[in-house]
Amino acid sequence: MNSKLTLNTMIDRFLPIVGLTLLVVVITIMNQQFLSPDNLLNLLRQVSINGLIAFGMTFVILTGGIDLSVGSILAFSSAMTALIITSGVDPIFAMLLGSVVGLVAGAVNGLLVTAGGMAPFIATLATMTIYRGATLVVTDGNPITGLGDSLLFQLFGKGYFFGIPVPAVTMLITFVILYIILNKTVFGRETYAIGGNETAAALSGIKVNRRKIMIYALSGLMSAIAGIILASRLDSAQPTAGETYELDAIAAVVLGGTSLMGGKGRIVGTLIGVLIIGVLNNGLNLVGVSSFYQQIIKGLVIVVAVLIDRKNK
Amino acid sequence: MIEMKDVHKAFGANKVLLGVDFELKDATVHALMGENGAGKSTLMKILSGVHTYDQGSIIRDGTEVKYSNLKDAEKAGIVFIHQELNIWPELTVLENLFIGNEHTKFGLLDNKLMRRKAEAVFERLKFNINLNRRAGDCSVGQQQMIEIAKALMMDTKVLIMDEPTAALTDREIDVLFDIIRSLKESGVSIVYISHRMEEISKISDEITVLRDGRSVLYSRTEETNYNEIVRAMVGRDLDDQFPERSHDLSDDVVLTVRQLENKAHPVRDINFDLHRGEILGFAGLMGAGRTEVMRTLFGVDPGAKEIEVEGKRVKIDKPSDAIGHGFGFITENRKSEGLILDFSLVDNMTMPSMQSFSKGGFMKQKDEDDFSDLMIKRMNIKSEKQSIVGALSGGNQQKVVIGKWIGSQPKILILDEPTRGIDVGAKREIYHLINELTERGVSILLISSEMPEVIGLSDQVAVMQEGRLRGILDKSRINQENIMTLATGGQLDE
Amino acid sequence: MKRILVLLSLFVFTAGCSLEPPAWSQSGGAGDDDNVVIGVSISTLNNPFFVTLKDGIEATAEEKGYEVKVVDAQDDSAKQVNDIADLMQQGIDYLVVNPTDSAAISSSVESANGSDIPVITLDRSVESGEVAAFIASDNVAGGEMGAAFIVDQLGEGAKVAELEGVPGASATRERGEGFTNVAKESLDVVTSQTANFNRSEGLNVTQNILQANPDIEAIFSHNDEMALGAVEAAPDDVLVVGFDGSEDALNSIENGALDATVAQQPDLMGETAIDAVEKLENGEDVEDEIKVELMLETQE
Repeated sequence: MNSKLTLNTMIDRFLPIVGLTLLVVVITIMNQQFLSPDNLLNLLRQVSINGLIAFGMTFVILTGGIDLSVGSILAFSSAMTALIITSGVDPIFAMLLGSVVGLVAGAVNGLLVTAGGMAPFIATLATMTIYRGATLVVTDGNPITGLGDSLLFQLFGKGYFFGIPVPAVTMLITFVILYIILNKTVFGRETYAIGGNETAAALSGIKVNRRKIMIYALSGLMSAIAGIILASRLDSAQPTAGETYELDAIAAVVLGGTSLMGGKGRIVGTLIGVLIIGVLNNGLNLVGVSSFYQQIIKGLVIVVAVLIDRKNK
Repeated sequence: MIEMKDVHKAFGANKVLLGVDFELKDATVHALMGENGAGKSTLMKILSGVHTYDQGSIIRDGTEVKYSNLKDAEKAGIVFIHQELNIWPELTVLENLFIGNEHTKFGLLDNKLMRRKAEAVFERLKFNINLNRRAGDCSVGQQQMIEIAKALMMDTKVLIMDEPTAALTDREIDVLFDIIRSLKESGVSIVYISHRMEEISKISDEITVLRDGRSVLYSRTEETNYNEIVRAMVGRDLDDQFPERSHDLSDDVVLTVRQLENKAHPVRDINFDLHRGEILGFAGLMGAGRTEVMRTLFGVDPGAKEIEVEGKRVKIDKPSDAIGHGFGFITENRKSEGLILDFSLVDNMTMPSMQSFSKGGFMKQKDEDDFSDLMIKRMNIKSEKQSIVGALSGGNQQKVVIGKWIGSQPKILILDEPTRGIDVGAKREIYHLINELTERGVSILLISSEMPEVIGLSDQVAVMQEGRLRGILDKSRINQENIMTLATGGQLDE
Repeated sequence: MKRILVLLSLFVFTAGCSLEPPAWSQSGGAGDDDNVVIGVSISTLNNPFFVTLKDGIEATAEEKGYEVKVVDAQDDSAKQVNDIADLMQQGIDYLVVNPTDSAAISSSVESANGSDIPVITLDRSVESGEVAAFIASDNVAGGEMGAAFIVDQLGEGAKVAELEGVPGASATRERGEGFTNVAKESLDVVTSQTANFNRSEGLNVTQNILQANPDIEAIFSHNDEMALGAVEAAPDDVLVVGFDGSEDALNSIENGALDATVAQQPDLMGETAIDAVEKLENGEDVEDEIKVELMLETQE
């Protein structure tokens, strides 16, 4: 994006990173183990699932939409991948098919929002329960196990690439690709334009509906990849996987400074937001905060972040 | 009588008022004029208590006064009706009138009393309106009456109106002027902010002109003239507003439109030809269907049409089709339809032509920068390419919109009210830009509600009335009389 | 040249991949001071059963002077895996897990094995990985307990119906086995039908059973939910025995509706887990599978 850096946008940009640094400092003071290389790798692996989902969510939110169905798409594609693997298909091929399932599920969201003219909140609220129900149907409510020992499938969730957990590598590569798409391509510019002013975008010849469908499909694809990582990591596809994951993803996007009204925001911010949530989850566990208080603290961090953001505007 | 003497005001480092004198006599209509950014709004916001001033004084009937907020000023009888009306569209007319000042009896709303008061006010205004109607369903003119009625209920002594006629039809303007005159007779003073010269001479008693934060002219209206006012506003003599151009039509027909029909709005049976380099003006009263013709043509509104571009039949179902066939559309509402206010100038300018500013899907930022630098220089835009357009003045924003369509290298450019809300200097620049485009072979469809603009620029004028095209006037027959005759449903004697 | 490059990058790629964590990152799993630290991961603290389990662990550990770190997976397998990784970061000596799912937890157990942290699982087992002890209720003994209660109340040879749980589930198998051990000698089991651990199915199935066999004197149910359904369908004089000791069931017993339930003892389960830790700490042997006693709750 080409825009001038004023003092306010500078504060806007650096607020999330300052928050993250502060959090890291506080947690490290309380438990030095936090900064050990082992824990940092552990942290990277833990944030990768939410990271992938939140990157897709960033595109959706930038257009002024929202995708509540990500957790259900995650579970559905993870179950489909597992079913395809257990039916004897090569795991690599199964992973590809599972990704396509997520892509299609996301595209359906896009169709409901564009051709169906539904509000994104309602459309994806409906598909959230539909995809969850579909997951329960195909799994019969039970976890799917026996996913075999294909090395590539195992590596995807549990492996290391030059010492770095593969899910984290996947997340970082995806981040770089999506960063380039959002900031350097026509697609990215159009994403911002649709969120900034949909009417003006359409009148400028942007094919708004087609773009939106692609963006919801992208969000579905990201959820599916996250789902496959989870299946590999848990050695099974869980029918209840991903419940309430949409909330963590939306929280990460908002913490990263992206406006829920669309048009404004950065995917780098989302990465930082994902790290903030990950550091909170991991750090509070390390410090030994009870899980009940953890939820309160997480909520408070979001409230404070958004309040500071508002004040700044 | 209110005197504002040597008023200064700065916002941070930005000095907006540098010593303004303004004298408002009782029971007069006082026109306040000046280019955008001259300080008119700031001055009136100070008078109505929105802003405080840094230096100077306000003297009312001999004693110095200071209004520190809006309520203070309202109590003293000073009311500001802004250009953007303060209307709750979901509430009824009656509820709008008393919002924040509801009358109650035993804690419950006293609708009977409120209704009686409202009826009395509208009677005074000689204006008929259904009090139970949703305000959002009322026309802009009626909404303005609601605002005026609201002001009158507060025992108003001074009424400030900012561009009150910008969205009114001619008939509504006449009604408004009648009301202003009767208010004046009952002792109310009115500050009238407007760019429209004819209205000023028709309605005002006195004129003050501001330029760059200073008051540069104060005169009785009948003692000054158009040229003196314009000179005071821009600080120099204007040569002719409209550029010299030859009005000879080329034989080359770029666009033919046949049987155009808009489904939602009763517009039908529209046929016209557009020649290379021609400016075809579209005139008509508010609501005649001119904008709908353009929206149908550009593929925004659904409708039927037969279109040929340079002799070839084309199908236009959506804006991207139209752009593909060489159309550009500068819409009436630049903020809601033309610009992405959060985007920088560059990003806005390259929006309709991203294909040519990209390669393999990747934006070529250097090309974008070069293009916007060129446009900024060519069109004299007073801003940098990285600035957010939402922060620009109206005139500069409009230039960005024009720039963005120049970038798409259109063959046919539709201009819908291209100079609305823009000051005289910027208007003239835009006229010259339009002329220059036609010299390079671009053909233009121009909608304007300002008669001088249509007459001054167009090579031919198409006049619409109630959704139908009533006639196309060639240059020799373009005059105010002919246009008005056709626009009101009359016939021309051949 | 190109081919060599492709081969080379393929080689680098495969060389970089591994299922083992890098050696440089290992921070030596187990704690190094004298203090015994036990990491506890519970499937959910939204269920009173598991809260009591946790309380049992904490109380016993305090008695013995062990430090406990509890994390709550909120019924999310992925969160449990993360939680356990976090626990291992804190240098725990023992891991006590109540798994959300026996397959999903395998990788966590394996990585604890890799760090030489002994694992004790509670209530659910794991599919792979080495476990020092698996602690669960003694469902077989519980089934016997339920059958014995019926014999005690109605005498030998009473006509009984059995409401079975989800077919194939371990609880169904074990509870049924215990019940049958006693019943085949001293009761007349008229019918055994499944109601899938579900209350409304329990109601429907019981109605059907009573239609067909109006002379049934007692119903033994594999869990409390189905028993509470049966209570709605059966006349007052039919003896209904549930299993689990859930809060609803205990209330129902107090109100005189349900006759008895074979109650699990989560606090005892927690205590047993810490006892096992103590034994391991003292170098003693621990049984692979420790059965925790159940307790019959009746109207008396």
